[in-house]
Amino acid sequence: MKRMANIDILPMACVGLILVLAMMILAPLVMTHTQTQVDVPKAHTSEIKTEENLTITYTIEGRLLVNDIEILPEELDQVVAEELARDPYQLVIVRADKDVLHDDVLEILASMKKVGAKRIACATKRPKGD
Amino acid sequence: MRKRKRLRFEHEPQGLILNSLVDIALSLVIGFIVTIPLFFESGIFVNAPGVAKAGASDVSDIKVNIHLLDDGAILLNEEIVTYQRLTELLPELLARSVERKVIISTEAYVKYERVITVLDLAKQKGAGQLALLRSKR
Repeated sequence: MKRMANIDILPMACVGLILVLAMMILAPLVMTHTQTQVDVPKAHTSEIKTEENLTITYTIEGRLLVNDIEILPEELDQVVAEELARDPYQLVIVRADKDVLHDDVLEILASMKKVGAKRIACATKRPKGD
Repeated sequence: MRKRKRLRFEHEPQGLILNSLVDIALSLVIGFIVTIPLFFESGIFVNAPGVAKAGASDVSDIKVNIHLLDDGAILLNEEIVTYQRLTELLPELLARSVERKVIISTEAYVKYERVITVLDLAKQKGAGQLALLRSKR
């Protein structure tokens, strides 16, 4: 009986699937800057956008970080302006702890507007069971 | 004694059988697709605060101004309302509004979480635009 000459593509499929899995896990980690632990407020009606962004983190201790790099409050305008000079339509995400004063967050948002941020979002997380 | 004939396949299977592995991997991919959005943060888009002079408008629209006080009280268009009453009134006001814009302002010591809760409620009730107002202090 003549044997059929087939290429075994299963190992290739396996490698491909593992690569897909690795990409799926790594891509959001690379594109978002959420290494600093902040207890962001919960919201039901939030939008998820996985894109390159500029993340400003404001912790309960009053630390200010831009893309997980700590800066002084007076440096914020300059650092963000430099980032926005590259891409004015870059999404700016403000990750503030739920227990900070809203006035402090407003100061950050006002700075963003002053330096020309066009797309600003406040980071939230979905409540459990939502 | 009769010798038992050993059963032999015409084509012996070669290499590993990876079908089950592929199945598991596919199930994992689907599992990740479903669960990954739950682990990452999302966001509410806002108009950044600004102090601007209000210009005269030709069209008068229903206004939805929410002011949060330090003591926990809520003012809806300058009237004190409870959170429950706010949830009832917001859809009615927004249904009659053309721009469906909700403007939120606060006193000095209001926590950020309260503002996000009200922003979230406004969005749930049909707000089109959310704006945060900063008053000069």
